[in-house]
Amino acid sequence: MTTEKTTARSPLDSLLVPSDDVPADSRPAYPPPRHAMSLLALESEQDLSGDVRGWMPVTRYTATADGMPRLATVAMLVDALGGLRSITASDPEWAFTADMSIHLLPAGPIEVLQADLHVRRRGRRTLVIEAELLADGERPAGSALLTFAVVPRPEHLVNITIDMTPGRRMMNRNSEQEHLTGDYLDELQLLVTQPGNATIELHPAVCNTVGALHGAVHASLVDEASASLARSLLGRDVVTTDMHLAYLELGRVGPLSATATSVGGPSSDHVSAVVEIRDGNEMLVSYATTEVCGL
Amino acid sequence: MSGFGSPAEIGVAQYLLMTIEEIGDGTAALPHTRGHFPGTPNTFDANGRLGTDLLTCIIDSIGGMTSGLASLPDWIVTTNLMVRRAPDSLTGNHGTGALTLDTHVLRRGRSSVVTRIDTTDTSGAMVATAWMSCAILTPANGPPPFNRPVKPFDRAVPNDPIFDTPPHEFFNLSAGPTPGLVSLAVDQRLRNPWGILHGGASAVVLDAAARSLVVGRPTAEATPEAIVTDLAVHYLSPGRVGPVLASATTTGHRGQDHLVRVEVRDQGADNRLMALSMATVRLLD
Repeated sequence: MTTEKTTARSPLDSLLVPSDDVPADSRPAYPPPRHAMSLLALESEQDLSGDVRGWMPVTRYTATADGMPRLATVAMLVDALGGLRSITASDPEWAFTADMSIHLLPAGPIEVLQADLHVRRRGRRTLVIEAELLADGERPAGSALLTFAVVPRPEHLVNITIDMTPGRRMMNRNSEQEHLTGDYLDELQLLVTQPGNATIELHPAVCNTVGALHGAVHASLVDEASASLARSLLGRDVVTTDMHLAYLELGRVGPLSATATSVGGPSSDHVSAVVEIRDGNEMLVSYATTEVCGL
Repeated sequence: MSGFGSPAEIGVAQYLLMTIEEIGDGTAALPHTRGHFPGTPNTFDANGRLGTDLLTCIIDSIGGMTSGLASLPDWIVTTNLMVRRAPDSLTGNHGTGALTLDTHVLRRGRSSVVTRIDTTDTSGAMVATAWMSCAILTPANGPPPFNRPVKPFDRAVPNDPIFDTPPHEFFNLSAGPTPGLVSLAVDQRLRNPWGILHGGASAVVLDAAARSLVVGRPTAEATPEAIVTDLAVHYLSPGRVGPVLASATTTGHRGQDHLVRVEVRDQGADNRLMALSMATVRLLD
C-alpha cells in the first residue's frame, strides 16, 4: 500500500484515498449521481501481486435476450478493472486506455459476470492486459484484451494513495444507494435515431474525470449502433458478440454520434460492422469493428 | 532498431506481390494508399479465395507502410492488428480473386498511429476490414527510403521454387503432435527489413494453429472446412531466433463460431511471448 497524497477524484474513487492535509478539491464530485459506472454495481478485489478480479451483477436491465450481459456493460467492467490494474502495472507512470477488444460467448442466463485480469506485457510505452470472463464464476463467458498507452503521470495524479487492503469492495460508493430501475442504455439517455445510428448528449453521468465521454460509453454507442443496424438487416433480435474499439481522441463536444455500416452483406445470422463515433464538431473520436449475431 | 534493408527484397512481399500506390501528392499529414493484390494459384484456395492468414499479411504490409509514411522521419512497429471478414464473402463467389486494399491513417499522435484498411474484391464488394495500431520509433539508421508519393514498383522474385509454393510451405510451417500446435522455422525470407520475423508470418502461424484446433487434427495446411473470420493480434515482442510455436486453446463456441486464444512464442529466445491473439474460427457448412 502506498502512502502518498492526492487530491485526485477518479472513477476508482473508493481506491484512491485523499489525504487529510491537502487542499480540498474544488472540482465537482466525481462520479456524479447515477453515473454510468456506479449504476452497474461493480465490485473488485486486488491481490498483493496487483492482479485484479471483479464482478458485475447481471439483471434484466443489463442483459440481452440470451441472458448474457450486453457488451456495453461488459466494456464498463473491463475498462474499470483494467484501469485499476494499470495503476500498479504502470507505476511510477500512468496509463490511458488506447484500445479494447471484447469477445462474448453464449453462457447465459447468468447472475454475475466475473472478470480476472492479468498483465501480459509492460513495455516502455504500452501495457497489455487480458481479461478472462466467467459466468457465475464457473462457465467461460468470453475474453477481453486491452492496450494502454503508458505516459508520464499527470500532475494532478502525482501523489495518490491506493487502497490495496485485501477484500472485495464496491468500485464506487454511489453503487450502494443507486440502482438501475430501467434499461441501462435508456438510463444513459442513449438514443437510436435510425438503424445504425446512435447518439448521446455529453451529460455528467456519461463523462470521465476530465469531462469527456467515458471510454466505456464509447462502447455503449458502438454496441447499440451495431445492434440496431443488425436488427434492421436480420429482422429479429440480436446480440453484439464482439468488438474491437480504438480510442482516437477525447470526446469533449457533444452530442456524440455513432454510425454503423455493414462490412459486406450479412449472412443468415451474422452482421459485421464498422462503427465511427464523431463528436459535436464532426471529429472522429473512436473507431470500431463489431460482429452481431441473430438470436 | 537496426538499419533497414531494401524494401524490394522483403521475402514475404516478394511472395505476395502486392503493389502499393500513394493517393495524392505525398504531402498529406494522414496518408492514403491503395494496394493491388493480384494473387496467384498457390496463394488462393481452391475457390480462388485468400485465407485470413495471407489476408492479414497483406493488411499488415500496407497498413504498416502507410502508418510509417505518416510517421516520417521516424518509423513504426505494429503493436496490434484487428481483422474482420465480411460474412457474405466466406463462401461462394464473393470475395474471390484479386483484391484492392484502401488504406487511411485515422490518427497520427506523438507516439502512435491508428490506420484503417478496407479490402474489396474486383466487383467492389467488401471482403474484410481491419484497423491497426503502431508505435512510433526512431530507427538507428533512419527510415526506409521512399520517394513521395509512393508509386508501384516491380519486385524481382528470386528464382527459387519456394516462392511458388502454398503458404504452409513458404512460411516453413509444421504441425505439432496435437491439434492446435503449429511451429514456424525462421528463415531469412520470413524476416522483415529490420531482421525480425515479419508480422504477417506471426499471423500465418497463429491462424494455422487456431484452425487446426477447431478442425481437430494436427495440420499446418489449408482447412477448407474452417476459416478465421475475426482476428485480434497483439504483438508483444519481436521474433528473432525461432522456432516459433503457436499454441491454440479453445475458450468456447457460439454455434459454428469457435473462440480461440493463441499464444505465439519464440522458443529459441527463452520461449518469449511474441504475440497474443483471440481468433474466431467458423466451421463452414
